[in-house]
Amino acid sequence: MPTGESNFGAAVWAILRKECRTEWRTRYGLNASLLFALTTLTTVSFAAGRLGDRVDLMSAFLWIVLLFASMASLAHAFVREVDGHTLTFLRMVASPAAIAVGKLLFNLVFLLVLEAVTVPLFFILMDAPPPQWGRFLALLGLGSLALASTSTLVGAIIAQTRSRGALFAAVSLPLLLPVMAAAVSGTRNQWQNLSVRSELGLLLGFTAAVLGVSVLLYDHLWND
Amino acid sequence: MSVPAIPAIDVSVTATGLGHRFAPGRGLESLDFALAGPGVVAVTGMNGSGKSTLLRIVAGLLRPTRGSCEVRAEGRAIDPPQRRTIAGFAAPELAFYDEMSVEENLLFAAAARGAGAAQEAIATALAATGLEARAKDRIAALSSGLRQRVRLAFAILHRPALLLLDEPGSHLDGPGREIVERIVDDFRHQGLVLLATNDERELRLADRRIELRSRGLGDPA
Repeated sequence: MPTGESNFGAAVWAILRKECRTEWRTRYGLNASLLFALTTLTTVSFAAGRLGDRVDLMSAFLWIVLLFASMASLAHAFVREVDGHTLTFLRMVASPAAIAVGKLLFNLVFLLVLEAVTVPLFFILMDAPPPQWGRFLALLGLGSLALASTSTLVGAIIAQTRSRGALFAAVSLPLLLPVMAAAVSGTRNQWQNLSVRSELGLLLGFTAAVLGVSVLLYDHLWND
Repeated sequence: MSVPAIPAIDVSVTATGLGHRFAPGRGLESLDFALAGPGVVAVTGMNGSGKSTLLRIVAGLLRPTRGSCEVRAEGRAIDPPQRRTIAGFAAPELAFYDEMSVEENLLFAAAARGAGAAQEAIATALAATGLEARAKDRIAALSSGLRQRVRLAFAILHRPALLLLDEPGSHLDGPGREIVERIVDDFRHQGLVLLATNDERELRLADRRIELRSRGLGDPA
Protein backbone atom coordinates (compact mmCIF):
# COMPACT_ATOMS: atom_id res chain seq x y z
CA MET A 1 0.00 0.00 0.00
CA PRO A 2 1.55 3.36 -0.92
CA THR A 3 0.31 5.07 2.21
CA GLY A 4 -1.11 3.67 5.37
CA GLU A 5 -3.86 4.90 7.64
CA SER A 6 -3.84 8.63 8.01
CA ASN A 7 -2.09 9.87 11.08
CA PHE A 8 -4.62 11.94 13.02
CA GLY A 9 -2.06 13.90 15.01
CA ALA A 10 0.02 14.71 11.93
CA ALA A 11 -3.08 15.90 10.10
CA VAL A 12 -4.18 18.13 12.99
CA TRP A 13 -0.70 19.64 13.32
CA ALA A 14 -0.42 20.21 9.54
CA ILE A 15 -3.82 21.92 9.45
CA LEU A 16 -3.00 24.13 12.44
CA ARG A 17 0.26 25.23 10.78
CA LYS A 18 -1.51 25.82 7.49
CA GLU A 19 -4.18 27.95 9.19
CA CYS A 20 -1.55 30.04 10.99
CA ARG A 21 0.43 30.51 7.78
CA THR A 22 -2.56 31.57 5.65
CA GLU A 23 -3.89 33.86 8.40
CA TRP A 24 -0.48 35.48 8.81
CA ARG A 25 -0.18 36.08 5.07
CA THR A 26 -3.70 37.33 4.46
CA ARG A 27 -4.73 38.75 7.88
CA TYR A 28 -8.30 37.79 6.95
CA GLY A 29 -9.48 37.92 10.53
CA LEU A 30 -6.75 39.29 12.73
CA ASN A 31 -6.77 42.88 11.47
CA ALA A 32 -10.57 43.11 11.57
CA SER A 33 -10.74 41.61 15.05
CA LEU A 34 -8.01 43.80 16.51
CA LEU A 35 -9.49 46.88 14.87
CA PHE A 36 -12.90 46.08 16.35
CA ALA A 37 -11.46 45.54 19.84
CA LEU A 38 -9.34 48.69 19.71
CA THR A 39 -12.13 50.87 18.35
CA THR A 40 -14.70 49.62 20.84
CA LEU A 41 -12.44 50.00 23.86
CA THR A 42 -11.26 53.50 22.97
CA THR A 43 -14.75 54.67 22.01
CA VAL A 44 -16.29 53.48 25.27
CA SER A 45 -13.33 54.88 27.17
CA PHE A 46 -13.89 58.33 25.63
CA ALA A 47 -17.66 58.18 26.02
CA ALA A 48 -18.04 56.74 29.51
CA GLY A 49 -14.67 57.41 31.06
CA ARG A 50 -13.00 54.89 33.31
CA LEU A 51 -15.26 52.27 34.87
CA GLY A 52 -12.98 51.32 37.73
CA ASP A 53 -15.73 50.79 40.33
CA ARG A 54 -18.36 49.22 38.01
CA VAL A 55 -17.13 45.62 37.90
CA ASP A 56 -20.56 44.40 36.73
CA LEU A 57 -20.40 46.61 33.63
CA MET A 58 -16.75 45.88 33.03
CA SER A 59 -17.28 42.09 33.13
CA ALA A 60 -20.01 42.30 30.51
CA PHE A 61 -18.06 44.77 28.39
CA LEU A 62 -14.91 42.64 28.39
CA TRP A 63 -16.72 39.54 27.15
CA ILE A 64 -18.81 41.44 24.61
CA VAL A 65 -15.64 42.86 23.08
CA LEU A 66 -13.99 39.43 23.03
CA LEU A 67 -17.09 37.75 21.58
CA PHE A 68 -17.69 40.17 18.74
CA ALA A 69 -14.02 40.67 17.93
CA SER A 70 -13.43 36.92 17.69
CA MET A 71 -16.62 36.05 15.83
CA ALA A 72 -15.49 38.08 12.81
CA SER A 73 -12.92 35.36 12.22
CA LEU A 74 -14.11 32.24 14.03
CA ALA A 75 -17.38 32.10 12.12
CA HIS A 76 -15.53 31.97 8.81
CA ALA A 77 -13.04 29.19 9.49
CA PHE A 78 -14.90 26.74 7.26
CA VAL A 79 -16.69 29.25 5.04
CA ARG A 80 -13.31 30.34 3.65
CA GLU A 81 -12.63 26.74 2.61
CA VAL A 82 -15.99 26.47 0.85
CA ASP A 83 -15.75 29.87 -0.84
CA GLY A 84 -12.15 29.23 -1.90
CA HIS A 85 -13.10 25.73 -3.17
CA THR A 86 -10.31 24.24 -1.05
CA LEU A 87 -12.54 21.93 1.00
CA THR A 88 -12.08 19.06 -1.50
CA PHE A 89 -8.30 19.45 -1.20
CA LEU A 90 -8.56 19.34 2.60
CA ARG A 91 -10.85 16.32 2.56
CA MET A 92 -8.45 14.40 0.32
CA VAL A 93 -5.65 14.76 2.87
CA ALA A 94 -7.38 14.55 6.26
CA SER A 95 -10.47 13.21 7.98
CA PRO A 96 -13.30 15.63 8.83
CA ALA A 97 -12.48 15.15 12.53
CA ALA A 98 -8.82 16.05 11.99
CA ILE A 99 -9.85 19.09 9.94
CA ALA A 100 -12.24 20.24 12.64
CA VAL A 101 -9.76 19.70 15.49
CA GLY A 102 -7.08 21.56 13.52
CA LYS A 103 -9.51 24.44 12.97
CA LEU A 104 -10.52 24.37 16.65
CA LEU A 105 -6.90 24.66 17.77
CA PHE A 106 -6.35 27.52 15.35
CA ASN A 107 -9.45 29.30 16.65
CA LEU A 108 -8.11 28.87 20.15
CA VAL A 109 -4.70 30.27 19.19
CA PHE A 110 -6.47 33.13 17.41
CA LEU A 111 -8.47 33.93 20.55
CA LEU A 112 -5.37 33.83 22.74
CA VAL A 113 -3.55 36.26 20.43
CA LEU A 114 -6.60 38.52 20.42
CA GLU A 115 -6.80 38.39 24.21
CA ALA A 116 -3.07 39.05 24.60
CA VAL A 117 -3.69 42.45 22.97
CA THR A 118 -7.24 43.19 24.10
CA VAL A 119 -7.11 42.31 27.80
CA PRO A 120 -4.11 44.50 28.77
CA LEU A 121 -5.65 47.34 26.74
CA PHE A 122 -8.93 46.80 28.56
CA PHE A 123 -7.28 47.06 31.96
CA ILE A 124 -5.52 50.29 30.99
CA LEU A 125 -8.40 52.06 29.26
CA MET A 126 -11.11 50.99 31.70
CA ASP A 127 -8.93 51.46 34.78
CA ALA A 128 -10.02 47.99 35.89
CA PRO A 129 -8.95 46.86 39.39
CA PRO A 130 -6.30 44.13 39.52
CA PRO A 131 -7.98 40.73 39.05
CA GLN A 132 -7.56 37.56 41.10
CA TRP A 133 -5.10 36.30 38.50
CA GLY A 134 -5.64 32.57 38.99
CA ARG A 135 -9.42 32.77 38.76
CA PHE A 136 -9.36 35.39 36.03
CA LEU A 137 -7.02 33.40 33.79
CA ALA A 138 -8.99 30.20 34.41
CA LEU A 139 -12.19 31.98 33.35
CA LEU A 140 -10.47 33.49 30.33
CA GLY A 141 -9.02 30.12 29.29
CA LEU A 142 -12.18 28.10 29.73
CA GLY A 143 -14.34 30.85 28.22
CA SER A 144 -12.07 30.96 25.18
CA LEU A 145 -12.20 27.18 24.82
CA ALA A 146 -15.99 27.26 25.01
CA LEU A 147 -16.21 30.05 22.43
CA ALA A 148 -13.76 28.34 20.09
CA SER A 149 -15.35 24.89 20.31
CA THR A 150 -18.87 26.24 19.82
CA SER A 151 -17.99 28.45 16.86
CA THR A 152 -15.97 25.63 15.27
CA LEU A 153 -18.84 23.18 15.59
CA VAL A 154 -21.44 25.61 14.26
CA GLY A 155 -19.07 26.80 11.51
CA ALA A 156 -18.49 23.21 10.35
CA ILE A 157 -22.19 22.42 10.28
CA ILE A 158 -23.32 25.50 8.39
CA ALA A 159 -20.31 25.79 6.04
CA GLN A 160 -22.08 24.41 2.99
CA THR A 161 -25.52 25.86 3.61
CA ARG A 162 -27.08 28.86 1.96
CA SER A 163 -27.66 32.01 4.05
CA ARG A 164 -24.96 30.75 6.37
CA GLY A 165 -24.33 34.19 7.87
CA ALA A 166 -27.84 34.38 9.26
CA LEU A 167 -27.80 30.69 10.11
CA PHE A 168 -24.58 31.04 12.08
CA ALA A 169 -26.12 33.73 14.25
CA ALA A 170 -29.35 31.79 14.75
CA VAL A 171 -27.62 28.54 15.70
CA SER A 172 -24.86 30.15 17.75
CA LEU A 173 -27.04 32.40 19.89
CA PRO A 174 -28.61 29.72 22.12
CA LEU A 175 -25.26 27.94 22.37
CA LEU A 176 -23.25 31.04 23.24
CA LEU A 177 -25.66 32.53 25.77
CA PRO A 178 -24.76 30.13 28.62
CA VAL A 179 -21.06 30.63 27.85
CA MET A 180 -21.40 34.40 28.00
CA ALA A 181 -23.55 34.28 31.13
CA ALA A 182 -21.06 32.08 32.98
CA ALA A 183 -18.02 34.02 31.79
CA VAL A 184 -19.51 37.43 32.70
CA SER A 185 -20.76 36.21 36.07
CA GLY A 186 -17.45 34.57 36.93
CA THR A 187 -15.42 37.61 35.88
CA ARG A 188 -17.58 39.86 38.08
CA ASN A 189 -17.34 37.44 41.01
CA GLN A 190 -13.54 37.25 40.90
CA TRP A 191 -13.39 41.06 41.12
CA GLN A 192 -15.74 40.91 44.11
CA ASN A 193 -13.60 38.19 45.67
CA LEU A 194 -16.46 35.68 45.46
CA SER A 195 -16.28 32.03 44.42
CA VAL A 196 -16.17 31.28 40.69
CA ARG A 197 -16.39 27.52 41.09
CA SER A 198 -19.90 27.14 39.66
CA GLU A 199 -19.07 29.31 36.63
CA LEU A 200 -15.89 27.36 35.93
CA GLY A 201 -17.86 24.12 36.30
CA LEU A 202 -20.49 25.33 33.87
CA LEU A 203 -17.88 26.40 31.30
CA LEU A 204 -16.02 23.12 31.67
CA GLY A 205 -19.17 21.00 31.40
CA PHE A 206 -20.45 23.00 28.44
CA THR A 207 -17.14 22.70 26.60
CA ALA A 208 -16.96 18.97 27.29
CA ALA A 209 -20.50 18.52 25.95
CA VAL A 210 -19.79 20.53 22.79
CA LEU A 211 -16.56 18.62 22.16
CA GLY A 212 -18.37 15.32 22.74
CA VAL A 213 -21.07 16.21 20.23
CA SER A 214 -18.37 17.40 17.84
CA VAL A 215 -16.53 14.08 17.96
CA LEU A 216 -19.79 12.30 17.10
CA LEU A 217 -20.72 14.70 14.30
CA TYR A 218 -17.51 15.65 12.53
CA ASP A 219 -16.91 12.39 10.70
CA HIS A 220 -20.40 12.59 9.17
CA LEU A 221 -20.04 16.11 7.80
CA TRP A 222 -19.78 17.09 4.15
CA ASN A 223 -20.74 13.75 2.62
CA ASP A 224 -23.69 15.03 0.64
CA MET B 1 10.13 12.61 -16.23
CA SER B 2 8.27 9.42 -15.31
CA VAL B 3 7.01 8.49 -11.88
CA PRO B 4 9.23 5.73 -10.43
CA ALA B 5 7.49 2.37 -10.56
CA ILE B 6 6.15 0.76 -7.40
CA PRO B 7 4.85 -2.79 -7.01
CA ALA B 8 1.37 -3.17 -8.52
CA ILE B 9 -1.50 -2.93 -6.04
CA ASP B 10 -4.53 -5.15 -6.44
CA VAL B 11 -7.40 -2.64 -6.56
CA SER B 12 -11.03 -3.13 -7.51
CA VAL B 13 -14.10 -0.91 -7.69
CA THR B 14 -17.58 -2.45 -7.71
CA ALA B 15 -20.77 -0.48 -8.18
CA THR B 16 -24.14 -2.07 -7.46
CA GLY B 17 -27.26 -0.10 -8.34
CA LEU B 18 -25.14 2.99 -7.73
CA GLY B 19 -26.87 6.33 -8.11
CA HIS B 20 -26.86 9.83 -6.77
CA ARG B 21 -29.57 12.42 -7.05
CA PHE B 22 -28.87 16.11 -6.42
CA ALA B 23 -32.27 17.20 -7.65
CA PRO B 24 -34.97 15.79 -9.96
CA GLY B 25 -33.26 14.98 -13.27
CA ARG B 26 -29.79 15.81 -11.93
CA GLY B 27 -27.15 13.37 -10.80
CA LEU B 28 -26.01 9.87 -11.56
CA GLU B 29 -28.53 7.27 -12.63
CA SER B 30 -28.39 3.63 -11.59
CA LEU B 31 -25.10 2.03 -12.53
CA ASP B 32 -23.57 -1.44 -12.14
CA PHE B 33 -19.99 -2.36 -12.93
CA ALA B 34 -17.01 -4.26 -11.61
CA LEU B 35 -13.52 -3.01 -12.37
CA ALA B 36 -10.20 -4.47 -11.33
CA GLY B 37 -6.72 -3.08 -11.74
CA PRO B 38 -4.17 -2.81 -13.02
CA GLY B 39 -5.41 -0.86 -15.99
CA VAL B 40 -7.08 2.29 -17.25
CA VAL B 41 -10.84 2.74 -17.49
CA ALA B 42 -12.40 5.74 -19.20
CA VAL B 43 -15.71 7.12 -17.95
CA THR B 44 -17.49 8.92 -20.75
CA GLY B 45 -20.85 10.56 -21.19
CA MET B 46 -22.56 13.79 -22.05
CA ASN B 47 -22.27 16.86 -19.88
CA GLY B 48 -24.32 16.34 -16.75
CA SER B 49 -24.42 12.57 -17.13
CA GLY B 50 -22.62 12.12 -13.80
CA LYS B 51 -18.95 11.47 -14.64
CA SER B 52 -17.62 13.81 -11.96
CA THR B 53 -20.24 12.58 -9.49
CA LEU B 54 -19.10 8.99 -10.05
CA LEU B 55 -15.46 9.89 -9.42
CA ARG B 56 -16.37 11.80 -6.25
CA ILE B 57 -18.29 8.79 -4.96
CA VAL B 58 -15.39 6.44 -5.71
CA ALA B 59 -13.00 8.88 -3.98
CA GLY B 60 -15.20 8.80 -0.87
CA LEU B 61 -16.06 12.50 -1.17
CA LEU B 62 -19.75 11.95 -1.80
CA ARG B 63 -22.18 9.49 -0.26
CA PRO B 64 -24.42 7.92 -2.93
CA THR B 65 -28.13 8.30 -2.40
CA ARG B 66 -28.74 4.85 -3.88
CA GLY B 67 -26.88 1.57 -4.19
CA SER B 68 -23.29 0.98 -3.16
CA CYS B 69 -19.74 1.53 -4.34
CA GLU B 70 -17.15 -0.79 -2.89
CA VAL B 71 -13.44 -0.18 -3.21
CA ARG B 72 -10.98 -2.93 -2.31
CA ALA B 73 -7.20 -2.81 -2.09
CA GLU B 74 -5.23 -6.03 -1.61
CA GLY B 75 -8.51 -7.76 -0.82
CA ARG B 76 -9.45 -5.35 1.96
CA ALA B 77 -12.56 -3.17 1.70
CA ILE B 78 -11.67 0.50 2.05
CA ASP B 79 -14.35 2.61 3.74
CA PRO B 80 -15.15 5.93 2.04
CA PRO B 81 -13.46 8.09 4.71
CA GLN B 82 -10.24 6.10 4.29
CA ARG B 83 -10.15 6.13 0.50
CA ARG B 84 -8.04 9.26 0.46
CA THR B 85 -5.17 7.07 1.67
CA ILE B 86 -5.18 4.95 -1.51
CA ALA B 87 -6.78 7.35 -4.00
CA GLY B 88 -5.28 10.25 -5.92
CA PHE B 89 -7.83 12.75 -7.15
CA ALA B 90 -7.64 15.56 -9.70
CA ALA B 91 -10.73 17.42 -10.83
CA PRO B 92 -11.54 20.89 -12.15
CA GLU B 93 -13.17 21.89 -8.86
CA LEU B 94 -10.04 21.00 -6.87
CA ALA B 95 -8.42 24.23 -5.68
CA PHE B 96 -5.35 25.00 -3.60
CA TYR B 97 -4.43 27.76 -1.19
CA ASP B 98 -3.73 30.87 -3.27
CA GLU B 99 -1.56 32.46 -0.62
CA MET B 100 0.77 29.44 -0.43
CA SER B 101 3.30 28.31 -3.02
CA VAL B 102 3.00 25.15 -5.11
CA GLU B 103 5.60 23.45 -2.93
CA GLU B 104 3.94 24.58 0.31
CA ASN B 105 0.58 23.22 -0.81
CA LEU B 106 2.12 19.86 -1.65
CA LEU B 107 4.14 19.86 1.56
CA PHE B 108 0.95 20.53 3.51
CA ALA B 109 -0.78 17.61 1.75
CA ALA B 110 2.11 15.25 2.51
CA ALA B 111 2.34 16.40 6.14
CA ALA B 112 -1.41 16.04 6.70
CA ARG B 113 -1.26 12.52 5.34
CA GLY B 114 1.60 11.77 7.68
CA ALA B 115 3.71 10.65 4.73
CA GLY B 116 7.41 10.03 5.17
CA ALA B 117 10.05 11.29 2.71
CA ALA B 118 7.78 14.17 1.76
CA GLN B 119 10.48 16.23 0.05
CA GLU B 120 11.42 13.33 -2.19
CA ALA B 121 7.78 12.66 -3.10
CA ILE B 122 7.21 16.35 -3.84
CA ALA B 123 10.33 16.56 -6.00
CA THR B 124 9.15 13.52 -7.95
CA ALA B 125 5.62 14.90 -8.42
CA LEU B 126 6.93 18.32 -9.49
CA ALA B 127 9.33 16.73 -11.97
CA ALA B 128 6.60 14.47 -13.38
CA THR B 129 4.39 17.48 -14.05
CA GLY B 130 7.13 19.86 -15.24
CA LEU B 131 6.63 22.23 -12.34
CA GLU B 132 10.13 22.29 -10.82
CA ALA B 133 10.73 25.89 -11.91
CA ARG B 134 7.38 27.02 -10.50
CA ALA B 135 7.67 25.29 -7.12
CA LYS B 136 8.16 28.57 -5.22
CA ASP B 137 5.40 30.44 -7.07
CA ARG B 138 2.20 31.14 -5.21
CA ILE B 139 -0.88 29.43 -6.60
CA ALA B 140 -2.51 32.83 -7.18
CA ALA B 141 0.23 33.65 -9.69
CA LEU B 142 -0.29 30.53 -11.82
CA SER B 143 -2.22 30.27 -15.08
CA SER B 144 -5.14 27.86 -15.37
CA GLY B 145 -2.91 25.37 -17.23
CA LEU B 146 -0.27 25.44 -14.53
CA ARG B 147 -2.94 25.03 -11.85
CA GLN B 148 -4.09 21.92 -13.71
CA ARG B 149 -0.54 20.60 -13.51
CA VAL B 150 -0.58 21.23 -9.75
CA ARG B 151 -3.78 19.16 -9.54
CA LEU B 152 -1.99 16.33 -11.33
CA ALA B 153 1.05 16.67 -9.05
CA PHE B 154 -1.24 16.48 -6.02
CA ALA B 155 -3.04 13.43 -7.41
CA ILE B 156 0.17 11.42 -7.82
CA LEU B 157 1.99 12.80 -4.76
CA HIS B 158 1.40 9.77 -2.53
CA ARG B 159 1.74 7.23 -5.37
CA PRO B 160 -1.90 6.14 -5.12
CA ALA B 161 -3.11 2.70 -6.07
CA LEU B 162 -6.33 4.24 -7.39
CA LEU B 163 -5.91 7.31 -9.59
CA LEU B 164 -9.06 9.32 -10.32
CA LEU B 165 -8.62 11.93 -13.04
CA ASP B 166 -11.58 14.10 -14.00
CA GLU B 167 -11.00 15.95 -17.28
CA PRO B 168 -7.21 15.75 -16.77
CA GLY B 169 -6.37 17.52 -20.01
CA SER B 170 -8.50 20.60 -19.37
CA HIS B 171 -6.58 23.90 -19.77
CA LEU B 172 -3.43 22.01 -20.79
CA ASP B 173 -1.25 22.76 -23.81
CA GLY B 174 0.53 20.13 -25.93
CA PRO B 175 3.34 19.40 -23.47
CA GLY B 176 0.79 19.34 -20.65
CA ARG B 177 -1.27 16.71 -22.45
CA GLU B 178 1.87 14.65 -22.93
CA ILE B 179 2.34 14.82 -19.16
CA VAL B 180 -1.16 13.40 -18.66
CA GLU B 181 -0.39 10.57 -21.08
CA ARG B 182 2.88 9.82 -19.31
CA ILE B 183 1.24 9.80 -15.87
CA VAL B 184 -1.54 7.50 -17.03
CA ASP B 185 1.02 5.19 -18.66
CA ASP B 186 3.11 5.12 -15.50
CA PHE B 187 0.14 4.28 -13.29
CA ARG B 188 -1.62 1.78 -15.57
CA HIS B 189 0.69 -0.99 -14.34
CA GLN B 190 0.67 0.07 -10.68
CA GLY B 191 -3.04 0.17 -9.97
CA LEU B 192 -6.35 1.30 -11.39
CA VAL B 193 -6.81 4.57 -13.24
CA LEU B 194 -10.30 6.03 -13.76
CA LEU B 195 -10.36 8.73 -16.40
CA ALA B 196 -13.50 10.87 -16.74
CA THR B 197 -13.26 12.43 -20.17
CA ASN B 198 -14.76 12.86 -23.61
CA ASP B 199 -11.44 13.80 -25.18
CA GLU B 200 -10.51 11.38 -27.96
CA ARG B 201 -6.78 11.55 -27.17
CA GLU B 202 -7.40 10.62 -23.55
CA LEU B 203 -9.89 7.91 -24.50
CA ARG B 204 -7.16 6.19 -26.48
CA LEU B 205 -5.26 5.70 -23.22
CA ALA B 206 -8.02 3.53 -21.77
CA ASP B 207 -8.27 -0.27 -21.83
CA ARG B 208 -11.98 -0.21 -21.05
CA ARG B 209 -14.79 2.28 -21.13
CA ILE B 210 -17.86 2.99 -19.03
CA GLU B 211 -20.37 5.09 -20.88
CA LEU B 212 -22.85 7.06 -18.84
CA ARG B 213 -25.67 7.40 -21.29
CA SER B 214 -27.86 10.44 -21.55
CA ARG B 215 -30.92 10.32 -19.34
CA GLY B 216 -28.72 8.32 -17.03
CA LEU B 217 -29.17 4.77 -18.26
CA GLY B 218 -25.52 4.14 -17.69
CA ASP B 219 -24.05 0.68 -17.80
CA PRO B 220 -20.67 -0.75 -18.72
CA ALA B 221 -19.91 -0.67 -22.43
